[in-house]
Amino acid sequence: MHAGKSAMIRPDACAISRGRAVLVLQIFILGVLAAAVAATVLYFPNPSPLIRHWLPPRKRWPERQIRGWLNSGKYQRSFLRHFYNDPERVVPPGTSLVGPADGLVTSADEQGGIRYLVIALSFWDMHVQRSPVAGVVVSVESLGNEFMDGEGREFAFIREKPCPVQKRVVIATDAGQIAVRLITSVAARRIEVWVEEGQTIERGQRIGRILLGSTVVLELPANTKLLVRPGERVWAGETPVAEGLVAS
Amino acid sequence: MSSFLWTSGHLGWGVFAIVVFSGIWLLLADLYWRLRTTRISRFLLALAVGWVIGVGLIMLLVGR
Repeated sequence: MHAGKSAMIRPDACAISRGRAVLVLQIFILGVLAAAVAATVLYFPNPSPLIRHWLPPRKRWPERQIRGWLNSGKYQRSFLRHFYNDPERVVPPGTSLVGPADGLVTSADEQGGIRYLVIALSFWDMHVQRSPVAGVVVSVESLGNEFMDGEGREFAFIREKPCPVQKRVVIATDAGQIAVRLITSVAARRIEVWVEEGQTIERGQRIGRILLGSTVVLELPANTKLLVRPGERVWAGETPVAEGLVAS
Repeated sequence: MSSFLWTSGHLGWGVFAIVVFSGIWLLLADLYWRLRTTRISRFLLALAVGWVIGVGLIMLLVGR
């Protein structure tokens, strides 16, 4: 009699415990999903930490988010890691001048016998600048009086006033002098120059860093042949940007 | 229909599948929206149609 009773109870107990196990599993799955959805909603319109890794830098840290960090002075650690990224570059063979910075060529106009190749850096570009040529650093000048936007437009960087704060690295080569201007903007307010007067530098060697997006201008003799045009992207130390540097 | 909501001491597979599908659908939609440039009206329409089809299929398969 007892044996029969326990045999009747056992399947029910088994079903109940299985039901509980399934319920616990369901609650766990729903909890994980709810956390993922909550993160998406909380971080919106910026991407949630769950999907950030699958997004390219420009989408991973939207501009409005970076501008918010500029105001608060607090940055996401992963963004800072990306920002301070300083990869090795393979300098192409030959004697062409290589790009001094990663960015977009916005103009290559000439004024007063000098061609100014303007390269605009974005927040997501690598921010270490490199020497376009091998030579000797003649001078490192501090110029400008203001942090401004539009620092690369209409020769704002060579105006008397207002002129964006910048560093001008003049490099002497066997075939004449060139200069690289590292220019600040409203967002980019710090420049580090890693070379000094009298130092011999290699083609593609690191010369400095602008902190956050801004502009780099390469000053060349007007008769130098340009290999890039406005609208093209260049990479520091890798993209040939000009050739035929001739002593004037 | 009652087993759709609750069965054998746990959530019914129907309602569970709908909630999980909706959550995953939302997360994938967010990822897609960030990776592709698409008109918001077209995107929302596709999102809604996809969700209705998904829920409909779950109702057909689990709700039988």
